[in-house]
Amino acid sequence: MSETPISSDLIRGHIDTILLGLLSTQDRYGYDICKQVTLLSDEEYELKGPTLYSAARRLEGQGFVRSYWGEGPQGARRKYYAITPEGSKAYQRNLEDWKRARKLIDRLVSGETEKE
Amino acid sequence: MEAIKYYVKGAFQGVKETSEALEQQEELIADLTAKVADLVAQGRSEDEALGMAIASLGDLAGLVSEFEPAEDPHAPIPSASVYGTRLDLHVIAVSAGVGAAVMIGSTALGAFTGLVHRGAGFSLLAVLGVAMWWLRGAYLRYQESPSAIEVRELVYTARFRRALAVWAGASVGVSLFNIASGTDFWCWPIWVAGGTWALTVKIEERFAQRAEFLAPDPEGSEAV
Repeated sequence: MSETPISSDLIRGHIDTILLGLLSTQDRYGYDICKQVTLLSDEEYELKGPTLYSAARRLEGQGFVRSYWGEGPQGARRKYYAITPEGSKAYQRNLEDWKRARKLIDRLVSGETEKE
Repeated sequence: MEAIKYYVKGAFQGVKETSEALEQQEELIADLTAKVADLVAQGRSEDEALGMAIASLGDLAGLVSEFEPAEDPHAPIPSASVYGTRLDLHVIAVSAGVGAAVMIGSTALGAFTGLVHRGAGFSLLAVLGVAMWWLRGAYLRYQESPSAIEVRELVYTARFRRALAVWAGASVGVSLFNIASGTDFWCWPIWVAGGTWALTVKIEERFAQRAEFLAPDPEGSEAV
């Protein structure tokens, strides 16, 4: 029996952190970000372009990301995204929050009963 | 690729062409082009790659809705049925009154401070004469058909800008004429008359939707 695909709703709330994480290593353009998400998730999750652009615009508005136009192959322009120092701090905060939440949720969904 | 441009431009139809919206379209086109090139490099045909790239993009409606919509050229022009002659009489009475008051006030101030120049009386009489003539015309039209109903477009911004532009142009013209002729009374009637004309637009904007000037629609349908 094959596994069912992961619900997008589970991931949607973490798009900003995923995006900041990918940009924390290098500047990337839109399609590159989507491709990295597909690769990192072993093709279990596909980040749609509109979701990415909305998130990038939101993060840019918050000052966590900046964008610039760079050159792609054959001289075509590409819009690159780069993380800002504020974005790096936000990423670290989100990462810590996620780790704590993951531990908590693991405990809550494990089915263990209350310890006496 | 032209097909990608058509697709993206089509999706953004109805969006105002701001730099932000155009930039988003360019980004989409660039990313779709990169994806198509990637799929072609993996052995897909160009058509197949294009279909896959567009399908994987999903629904663009949410993204498109984040941008300001374009103004609809087919949107109905706001209008109202009004008692035209009654409205005009009131608008002109107020405007002419303000123009006359400005003229009388500035002439009195000039006389009081001793700064009144030769020709000030001429300017005052000219403005008052025009104001009376203007008011009389509006009154006669009202007398002739006091309940005349007309549908009037409630579009004032462009009219007001045009009136201000004419006022500014005429003011500069008469000021130059003053300088050239060594006189200073030509400018006043034009300044006041031009300013008063612009004022009528603003006053009509305020009055046009007041209950005492609104009339039933002549064709029995609701005005927009």
